[in-house]
Amino acid sequence: MSDQPNAAAEPALESASDTRRVDPFLMAVLKSRFEAIVREMSLVVLKASRSAVIKNGRDFSCAILTYDCRLVSTEDALPIHVTSMDLAIRPILEFFDDIAPGDIYLNNCPYTGGTHHADMIMAMPVFVDGKPLFWAVALSHHADMGAPIPTTYLPFAKNIYEEGLHFPCVRVVERGKERSDVIRIALMKIRASKVWHGDFQAQIGACRTATQRLVELIGRYGVPTVEDFVEDWFDYGERRAIAEIRKLPAGTYRYETRHDPVPGVADAGIPVRIAVTVDPEAGRITVDITDNVDNVPGGLNTSENTASGSCRMGVLNNLDSSIPHNHGSMSRIDVVMGEGKVVGKPRYPVGTSVATTNVNDRLITAGNCAFTAMGAPHGQAEGGGHMPVGNGVISGHDPFKEGQYYISQIFIGYAGNGARHGHDGWLTFCGPANGGLISLDSIEVDESMYPIIVESREIQADTQGFGTYEGAPAVGGVFYPIDHAMTVVYASDGTSFPPAGVLGGTAAASAINRKQKSSGEIVELPAFSAEVVEAGEKLVFRACGGGGYGPPAKRDRARVAASVAKGWLSAEKAKEVYGYEA
Amino acid sequence: MSFNVCIDIGGTFTDCLVADEAGAVSIFKAPTTPGAFHKGFINVLHVAAKGYGLDAAAFMAAIDVIVHGSTVSTNALVERKVAKAGVIVNAGHRDVLVLREGPRKGAFQWRLDYPEPYIPRSRTCTVKGRIDARGHELEPLCEADVLAAVQHFKNEGVEAIAVGLLWSIVNPAHEIRTRELIQAVWPDIPVTLSSEINPTPREYRRIIAAAIDASISPIIKTYVRALETALAEEGFKGELLLANCVGGMMPPKEMIAKPIYSVMSGPTLAPIAALALSPEPDIIVGDMGGTTFDVSALRDHQLIVTAESMIHDDALGIPKVDVRSVGAGGGSIAWVDDGGLLHVGPRSAGARPGPACYGFGNMEATVTDANIVLGIIDPDYFLGGAIKLDRALAEQAVDAIAQRLKIGRLEAAYAIHTTSNHNMVAAIEEITIREGLNPRDSYFVCGGGATACHVAEMADILGLKRYMIPRFMAGLSAFGGLVSALRWEQNGVLYTDAKRFDFKGVNALLADLKATSAAFLADARVPAERQSFEFAFMGRYEYQSWEIEVPFEMEGDELHPDELPKLVEAFHRMHERIYSIRAESDLVEFTTWKVKAAGGYARQDHWRDFTLAPQSGPVAAKASRPLYALEAKAQEEVPIYDAAALGAGARLAGPCLVEAPTFTAVLKRGHEALVDDHGNFLVTVV
Repeated sequence: MSDQPNAAAEPALESASDTRRVDPFLMAVLKSRFEAIVREMSLVVLKASRSAVIKNGRDFSCAILTYDCRLVSTEDALPIHVTSMDLAIRPILEFFDDIAPGDIYLNNCPYTGGTHHADMIMAMPVFVDGKPLFWAVALSHHADMGAPIPTTYLPFAKNIYEEGLHFPCVRVVERGKERSDVIRIALMKIRASKVWHGDFQAQIGACRTATQRLVELIGRYGVPTVEDFVEDWFDYGERRAIAEIRKLPAGTYRYETRHDPVPGVADAGIPVRIAVTVDPEAGRITVDITDNVDNVPGGLNTSENTASGSCRMGVLNNLDSSIPHNHGSMSRIDVVMGEGKVVGKPRYPVGTSVATTNVNDRLITAGNCAFTAMGAPHGQAEGGGHMPVGNGVISGHDPFKEGQYYISQIFIGYAGNGARHGHDGWLTFCGPANGGLISLDSIEVDESMYPIIVESREIQADTQGFGTYEGAPAVGGVFYPIDHAMTVVYASDGTSFPPAGVLGGTAAASAINRKQKSSGEIVELPAFSAEVVEAGEKLVFRACGGGGYGPPAKRDRARVAASVAKGWLSAEKAKEVYGYEA
Repeated sequence: MSFNVCIDIGGTFTDCLVADEAGAVSIFKAPTTPGAFHKGFINVLHVAAKGYGLDAAAFMAAIDVIVHGSTVSTNALVERKVAKAGVIVNAGHRDVLVLREGPRKGAFQWRLDYPEPYIPRSRTCTVKGRIDARGHELEPLCEADVLAAVQHFKNEGVEAIAVGLLWSIVNPAHEIRTRELIQAVWPDIPVTLSSEINPTPREYRRIIAAAIDASISPIIKTYVRALETALAEEGFKGELLLANCVGGMMPPKEMIAKPIYSVMSGPTLAPIAALALSPEPDIIVGDMGGTTFDVSALRDHQLIVTAESMIHDDALGIPKVDVRSVGAGGGSIAWVDDGGLLHVGPRSAGARPGPACYGFGNMEATVTDANIVLGIIDPDYFLGGAIKLDRALAEQAVDAIAQRLKIGRLEAAYAIHTTSNHNMVAAIEEITIREGLNPRDSYFVCGGGATACHVAEMADILGLKRYMIPRFMAGLSAFGGLVSALRWEQNGVLYTDAKRFDFKGVNALLADLKATSAAFLADARVPAERQSFEFAFMGRYEYQSWEIEVPFEMEGDELHPDELPKLVEAFHRMHERIYSIRAESDLVEFTTWKVKAAGGYARQDHWRDFTLAPQSGPVAAKASRPLYALEAKAQEEVPIYDAAALGAGARLAGPCLVEAPTFTAVLKRGHEALVDDHGNFLVTVV
């Protein structure tokens, strides 16, 4: 292995082809057929899964790729799951020379193209008349993988030996038959494995549904037509991306952000740097992340998959959202990364347990923000990251269920996004990796399912970044276990370095992680920790809001008045920051 | 003479279907009168009176029942013209209507504003006091907070109050006390309690339902009173019944008490029509109008209820008959994006200016324009010739699309037609997949004026083998109103599971729900022999958080321990049906219990008594015209049949066209139609 930077994306055509292989009406028709199949997959996962993180949080994604691993279609997927899905499937083709109809493969290993160990990527080859044509892929985030402590987010796990189970492209279903020996490994090692197994089966159901639908579709239109459509569809994606890139000013745009200090892993925090080069003439964007620090001895390193996906996301967040997110459009974004860097390709066997959030969130943020170097109206301000206490993994023994063990990631309160030109930040953001798609938990659902009380969950005034456009304010609150000791594991980036503003906008308020003891005394908790909360104790949290965009002095008076009326901005702050008096 | 009437108010026309003593049904239309809907309502009755050769007063006096599907509340919500409501929520949870469950957005979509809450902060008050999931009081209700809220609402000029407190579904004491406190100091203000209007877990959905209910309460009350007054002035002495969104009708008094049940009630009448028209177990109903395509379904010959309906960025919250809308109607506009891909809708030319061929200034091609170019619609026989369409304008509009796509006019028109069909198919699949129906084994019933132009190709795409083009397709919802029953759902929350099943609690709850439902029917003067009750529960596997509805039967008045395995098995079966997964060894949990009461009325099935004269002699085409066929990529000459000239038992084989004053139907090659005794076209794909 070398330190030479390598390009994650294949070299693409100089410009997309204008020739069409299928009738225009078939383009629209087959596009909608593929979308319908992915939607049906998603529905199977959503409805048949068990754990709250999948069902309530919607932390899963489905996609269809060509057999040579080019992304065809994805619907309502979490961006971090699918923008580099190709990397997760390609190794299967390298490991196996006997891929057969009815097989299903499992990959959750960042060293074989996975995102991080919690994301079980399940892939089923789709054969027609003995010829493999597509992959149906269902990815679900599992709340536990059998790591030493009950979570899949382990910022202190130095290497993979301190993480949960890895399945580096393992055949879990062989010609239609589930491999009970392999599944037994997971059932033995994963906590609350019955819940896990329900989620796992939901993924199998989704893959099988998609395979059946694809075979029917191809039966109707024929292999050549469907294959031609796929190429036309990629050309279309490329044309759309090129048209968008041509609207941007040429140049190289840099940005640096900084992840919080994590004691023993990165005591001074972790700088994340990005350089985005726009070549409107060629219709290409190159994202370079080679100028970054080495891998850290903890779980904060990105995987190759998430680094490459995050670089693409930073760009896609700044292009028109209606361009299709397929292989064609992604091929106009080149990613250049190093190996052994905290963002980029990790050096085996360094830890990547938190590779979808935290430092990875900062990488997406850096991409979002780099565009602000073009000046308004481009780019957006920094938003908050995942995994504050209100978004942690809780576990314990349920006193109402004879001490039955429970473990789940909760989404009681999470981060808001930064502002962009023309718009204040999106409130229910959760973190850059999800694109604002993660649902917020119903308090009644959480309280009926787990032995907890959510005492409060509200928007906290004056916590947003101020600016011409304001970041979203923070959400904070209090929750506690009923009659038992509950463990909460979290990784609350933004406690030291809260989301920054851009182009004169100010930073959002810091995250808060506290415990109220039974005496009433409130103590600060570490920003990255696994904490036990005893009966009688309470967790007090505040996630981060987003940074502001543009100078506050230019904020429209009507917008200031509206923020005050909503209770998001106090009269004092309105006067102090905006010189506003009602 | 005596008549039964249903009036359905649409965007453009107010439809009126009348069944006479013999059961013969006629359709009448008058323009809708926005702002004063009751005027169009009375106008269309006058039109009907004329149709029967009666003076208005005589006709009015002869009407036994008027069923009405109103759009007043839907319009108020869509146009955001609702009353000023205030909401009371728990201290610590002030932002429940702001945060929702995280509003939906596109993954890469950032050029958007976070949606404002349904009720603004200035009219949101919090009160201390908390109940937990097991119904225990963690903290007593702070009565001073309630009184302060009332004073605040008075100052703000609030017109109705919604109360939504955590776990009120398990223990409503705090909500009930809050209402007592409000009414003690402000007796006239309407108050909606979340635990009464929408007894379901998930606080946002319950509270938004209460908020919506409160905000339309004054509007519905005013509307119903205006209607009753106008009808009384006209000499109407029969019974007025209002369609609700759970699939039936209710008396005006009940609707005023629970106005949220009037929301989106019109479209729910379409699946009810299908319920009466066909005995098939699994039915899909598609209703294509000018701007939208509404789709609904019946599973095991039962209405499907969903809690997922949305208005703008908010949930409606209450369970209602599942009807989904997509922006695919005759007026949907075709456009080509930067990358050269054709899209149809969701933007629509609406009724004004309408499709290019209307000649009111829209130059962009719509689905209707494409249908003219393809030969499906005769521009000289639209709505039976009542409206003249301009073929040249349609061609010109389609040509603009053809140029962008670098194809011919016919090919472009077909691309628009089929793209629209696929948009509708996607909407159909959304509901069938979600609800565990296989389109291939399902029956399809057409509704709305435009569906029959598209159903043939949609049937081929979906693999449908049989479908129906009802005689009153263009007024299917109104027909549904004419044949519907009184219907009410009473729900209660009681968490239990198969391992620790609470027979006592469940039986007490079911008895209570049944008593309330029976009182509803008795109140509506439904005699005991026409009352019926169905039972269902919402269930899930342990640690699942989305419930599914499972109907079950009760052998006696109470559930007995030996009946529990039946409930569990019914859950497994429904779960497997909907999600293809059966987890035999998993614990089944029960969350909500439902009693569905239905009450028939005397002449509900009367329409069946009227039959069409049998077909005499061979069927004869009235004319022929060229129709585009995909296989040939060219037009071919096909016969046109006049629907009015066909008798019962007549058979038609595609390719052909059928024309009626209210619709045009395309039958493709291989599609064969039989006219049934009631004048409906039953089509089989061979």
